[in-house]
Amino acid sequence: MATSTWRPARRNGLWQRIRKHRFAYLLTAPTALAMLGVHFIPTLLAFYMSFLRLNQFTLGRFLRAPFVGLANYALIFSSRNNALVAGINNAARNTLIYAVAVNVGTLGIGIVLALLLNRRFRGRGIARTLMLLPWVVPTYVVGMLWGMMWLRDRGIINTILVDWLHLLSQKPFWLIGRNTLWAIIIPTIWRQLPFNTIMLLSGLQMVPEDLYDASAIDGASAWQQFWYITLPLLKPVVAIVLLWGAIFTFFGYNIVIMMFGNGGGFPGEWGDLLMPAIQRQSFGYWMFGLGSAVSILMMLVMMLFVGIWYRVFRVSLIQE
Amino acid sequence: MKPRWLVLLSLVTILGMLATACGSATPEVVEKTVVVTKEVVKEVQVTKIVQGKTVTEIVTATPPPPEEVTLKIWIMPNGPDPLGAIQTEIDEFEKLHPNIRIEAEVLDWGSAWSKITTAATSGEGPDISQLGTTWVAAIAAMGALRPFTAEEIAAMGGAENFVEASWQTCNPVGSGFTVAVPWFVDTRAIIYRKDVLEKVGLDPDEAFATWDTFDAALARIKEAKEAGEVETYPIGFPGKNDWNVLHNFAPWVWGAGGEMLNPGNTAAVFNSPEAIEGFKFYASLFTKGYTPPDVLELNSAQVDGMFPSGEVAMIISGPWMVKNSRTPEDKGGFAGSVAAENFAVHEIPAGPAGRFTFVGGSDLTVWNSSKHQEEAVEFVKFLVSKESQIRYGGNIGMLPAVKEALADPTFKDDPDYGVFVQAVGHGKSYPAIAAWGPIESAMVKNLGALWDDVAGVNGPFDPDTMIPARLDAAKQEVDALLAAGGG
Repeated sequence: MATSTWRPARRNGLWQRIRKHRFAYLLTAPTALAMLGVHFIPTLLAFYMSFLRLNQFTLGRFLRAPFVGLANYALIFSSRNNALVAGINNAARNTLIYAVAVNVGTLGIGIVLALLLNRRFRGRGIARTLMLLPWVVPTYVVGMLWGMMWLRDRGIINTILVDWLHLLSQKPFWLIGRNTLWAIIIPTIWRQLPFNTIMLLSGLQMVPEDLYDASAIDGASAWQQFWYITLPLLKPVVAIVLLWGAIFTFFGYNIVIMMFGNGGGFPGEWGDLLMPAIQRQSFGYWMFGLGSAVSILMMLVMMLFVGIWYRVFRVSLIQE
Repeated sequence: MKPRWLVLLSLVTILGMLATACGSATPEVVEKTVVVTKEVVKEVQVTKIVQGKTVTEIVTATPPPPEEVTLKIWIMPNGPDPLGAIQTEIDEFEKLHPNIRIEAEVLDWGSAWSKITTAATSGEGPDISQLGTTWVAAIAAMGALRPFTAEEIAAMGGAENFVEASWQTCNPVGSGFTVAVPWFVDTRAIIYRKDVLEKVGLDPDEAFATWDTFDAALARIKEAKEAGEVETYPIGFPGKNDWNVLHNFAPWVWGAGGEMLNPGNTAAVFNSPEAIEGFKFYASLFTKGYTPPDVLELNSAQVDGMFPSGEVAMIISGPWMVKNSRTPEDKGGFAGSVAAENFAVHEIPAGPAGRFTFVGGSDLTVWNSSKHQEEAVEFVKFLVSKESQIRYGGNIGMLPAVKEALADPTFKDDPDYGVFVQAVGHGKSYPAIAAWGPIESAMVKNLGALWDDVAGVNGPFDPDTMIPARLDAAKQEVDALLAAGGG
């Protein structure tokens, strides 16, 4: 396609345009160079590394390690019983559930909170500030703190659920078994909620008041106002929040790693996510080629998601 | 293993030779100014390479003043005050060697591995570093460590001067080199409450004699707790949410006559019938109800905390608990509590194949990339001297790795440390092979999953099927790692 439209004059045009905006390019050059250094080159390196047998014995040779073509990719897909990738399927299943649950949770609760905080009431400023608190807690601290709160007999959560509220008849384990999935989903929602709420709140404040006034005159109910005015106008914000959340959860690591043995333990078959699993079973096993291959695959999956996301939200993003 | 090693080492040597050769091959005009003063005049034989030819000449010169040298040492967070403890040693050393300055940097255990491997591959490491005993072989395989010479080892008292299980970790299997020197030892023993055993009529020596008497003793304490005679559960130990998962199982596996790997270190054998008995016995301590019911979700630090709080009558832990029992509460210890006043230590009971305990700890290494290797070796020599070993071990709550220091009354005749010193005699460490690090990660994962089975996550726990199933899966992973089956 490029060859058919290519003409020398066009090249001149491009050059002239660069000359014309020379100052702008000059200003953005440092950023562009830095991004090239910290993002693009490492990504390219990782891509190349995924074709190498790069383990502890060949690491000293780094990029001159034996080239093995697609062997690392074959290892991932070859057999279900391959010992070196054992357990990755559990991690993939957990990651999917985790990503969906966290994003639905943060978006749903975030919209409700944003609507509440958008109303005029006494102490609204304080409420907005308080609501931001979880966001200033670093994710690894979130993991450690909730790791203590989830303890069956010494944690605050079971004390509240069982001893105070009597919601459950007996104290369940949260850090062992299937419940571990909840034990990582809930703190992540708690941590991510402020960001979503603030974003949605700023979106709400851009919705013109007179739209509500006009619709009220036409007899629209509050629900109809929300459904036909608020939500469509929030769509660009929802798009950003969703993209952010998807990346955050798909590459989720800190909370899980810290919750189970401060980085030394195994989150278990229901608590393991893809990132911790990859870290453990490629970098932890000192198989850096394999680790790069899995990381590249994850990147492709994420790019696919971003592609779908863009198609879905393209119209509202461009309008914005 | 051997050829790889040789190739790596010879590569390093050749590169080194090339580098020095290149450096000195540039033709140079040497000006000799001999200043005769009242100082001692020495004759020095100088060999130079000038335009590819070796030239030897005798030069008379005054001895240069000792060069000011700065060394960098990387250590881990040892003890409650890591920087303070090492600074004490540095100050003492600098008094003896005024021309050597030492800068210590404390790495976090979590980030240390990546920092050290990065340094090993980039060739820009410290002069000296502490390495966990199980890391030495792997870092050595990357060619980063400078082997100690026979003379240097002899000057440190020879191999016999060090705890055997630690010394073994300094000599990677098949390498023929000593690439590290043991620094301090971490070992495990049973820490128990004298008063609880007394109250239920148990004699410690008998209670901790064999697996059977141990089991009976725990059953007796459990009975006493149910009858309201004592308030403590018999014992506490962590499950999967912990970093010591393998170290906790190991003494029982060895005690049962099992091993981790076969003699050639080519395949895992921890799923042998003997080893399985060890796993079963340890897991049974939970299923028989000897522990608090929630113990399997806790980590080592939390379990250690159950002893001072009086929740359990015993834990299996390390020498740091002795230090903690003598440190006041406001400084992080539990001196003065009921648990501290009734604090006692005993070795882990003997299994069918004998008495074994886990020995870990850390070794000291000098790096090939160091520009002042001689001075670095001097500091290592100082750190393994008797006085430094006793002082540093006491400060960080670990045992010295030097037998001379262990035999010192400070440790040997101490009622609590003394038991740990004895335990070192029954200590065993993991095979010193480069692949051990990855193997340990794989074991932590699979044994973590086993603890979930024990906790009943996957239906009622059946030791006869579930333990072998987990161990077989672990063997597959470990065998693949030993075969370096992936990239």
